[in-house]
Amino acid sequence: MTSARGCEPYDATMADRTAGKAIILVVDRDPHVRELEAHFLEKAGFTVVFAQDGIYALEHARRVVPDIVVTEILVPGLDGLALCRQLKGDPRTRAISVLVFSILSAAHRANEAGADAYLRKPLADRALVDTVQRLLAERKGAPT
Amino acid sequence: MSDNGSIHRLTTGSSQLDDILNGGIPENSLDIIMGAPGSGKTTLAEQLMFANTADARPMLYLTTMTEPLDKVINYLQQFRFFDLDKLGTAIHYEALGPDLAEHGVGALLPRLKDAIKTLSPKLIVIDSFKAIHDLAKSAQEMRLVLYEVAGLLAAYNVTVLLVGEYGHDDIAMYPEFAIADGIIELARNALGSHDERYLRVFKLRGSAYRQGSHAFDITPDGLKVYPRLVSPVAAASYQRSPNRIPSGVPGLDRMLAGGIPEGSATLIAGPTGSGKTTMAVQFMVEGLRQGERCLLVNFQENPTQLAHQVEQISGALDADARGRLELLYYSAVELSIDRIVVSIFEALGESPIRRIVIDAIGDLGAAASDAQRMHDYLYAMVQHFAVKGVSSVLTLETDPPIMVADIAQGRLSHMTDNIVFLDLRTRNDIVGRTIRVAKARGVAHDLQPREAQIDARGLRVIEAQG
Repeated sequence: MTSARGCEPYDATMADRTAGKAIILVVDRDPHVRELEAHFLEKAGFTVVFAQDGIYALEHARRVVPDIVVTEILVPGLDGLALCRQLKGDPRTRAISVLVFSILSAAHRANEAGADAYLRKPLADRALVDTVQRLLAERKGAPT
Repeated sequence: MSDNGSIHRLTTGSSQLDDILNGGIPENSLDIIMGAPGSGKTTLAEQLMFANTADARPMLYLTTMTEPLDKVINYLQQFRFFDLDKLGTAIHYEALGPDLAEHGVGALLPRLKDAIKTLSPKLIVIDSFKAIHDLAKSAQEMRLVLYEVAGLLAAYNVTVLLVGEYGHDDIAMYPEFAIADGIIELARNALGSHDERYLRVFKLRGSAYRQGSHAFDITPDGLKVYPRLVSPVAAASYQRSPNRIPSGVPGLDRMLAGGIPEGSATLIAGPTGSGKTTMAVQFMVEGLRQGERCLLVNFQENPTQLAHQVEQISGALDADARGRLELLYYSAVELSIDRIVVSIFEALGESPIRRIVIDAIGDLGAAASDAQRMHDYLYAMVQHFAVKGVSSVLTLETDPPIMVADIAQGRLSHMTDNIVFLDLRTRNDIVGRTIRVAKARGVAHDLQPREAQIDARGLRVIEAQG
């Protein structure tokens, strides 16, 4: 496990990047969701970093520039949809793919906020990993 | 992007129970199966697991501190749904007991987390969950553990069944009932000389489940459930036939100004020996003569006695007519209203039956656990017949006076369209029969009692000469 626990930010090392491991920033206030997401994403070969509130997630995303942000809508500080808009509105973070993963039935709202994908909770490990892998494949295929 | 918000459900392995649950157990829900020891809880949970093994994700059965794992599996092998090839692949059995005994209730959360991470199970059964309470040092500790467990299980895409020997009083005491999405109770009630098994859904979030007590048996195939009969939704709006059909007693047809309205329900009431069964058989034989398929449900005369009576009244029936007659016989000592009603509706569903006779509904009354239940069943059953356009005759013994008071109060009269009273009268030391139409819905019927006689070919009305 290379990510920080207790919702402390984790500065992804250059080693992770150069090893070709995609970095996923998971934003969720629920410790069980964070733990299970981390387990299944790391098992699939990704590096996982956390934030438990939207403001921290935004700062972290600007600093680390993960490949994908997986965010719940209901997070403190800055909600997941606002986080998505801010990421997509900032040239530094625009290229980060955003997966809205929420207990709320809000696919349309996520789409409006500029999210690249939406999944409804509860966590289904296969669906989460498949969606993350699809987003990564799309990033690789996208013009730079 | 889609919300995918529709509720998917797990089959219980019983199509009847699935119907009661509005399609099955909702996926991702946490449900409690409660009941006394021996009530069938474990059987239901295991039946449900084996019925869902087509899914790519496995099922996990965790035993706690009641029965040893080996004993659970050993007993399971008696059921036909058991499949050895599924064990260890689609279905995993594990014992939580040793961990709980060593580390207390705190062992529960890490074991569940570990199970989710390693197996990604579709379903987790914890049997018995109630027994875990006994290991907690305090109610507060158990409440905290439960809070964490509920959080974990809600976060992951898994359906959870908590099985336990809970009683009614436990619902208000144990915190798992507050977080449960569904509660199903299995119970055994003494009814006369035997026990009846019942199940009842107390709660099922987001589902229009069928309320009330539903009988069930534990069979080699698992639970066979007999859903409580309720009135059909279409009862308020169905089209009634304008046709009349012959009753098999021509004099009665004349008293009814042209026969019995097709699709109506007729109650034939009278004391012992007044000719109720004879008239009912005539009604059925007439249907056979008309080329109709008929069902006779009987509780008193065995099939041999009944066949003899049918033959007497009908003369020799040809093979075609005999093939259109269906008999359902139930011994009066083995009666269970739920099972009878399900059998009747299975028969109705399998062939286009046009006439049905139930002889006698007093016996059905004895099979019901209470009078209100009996009335609810009769009303719903008659409504179902009406919607299907099936003409029915129900006989009722009035001596001894079972339910006679009901007739006087009109409780039965609203259930059936027509009521015919048969009676025995003594005049000059000679016992005679009378027949009277007390009610015929929508028919300008004869109000007068008429004399009747029974001979080898059945009951006939003696009509005034000239």
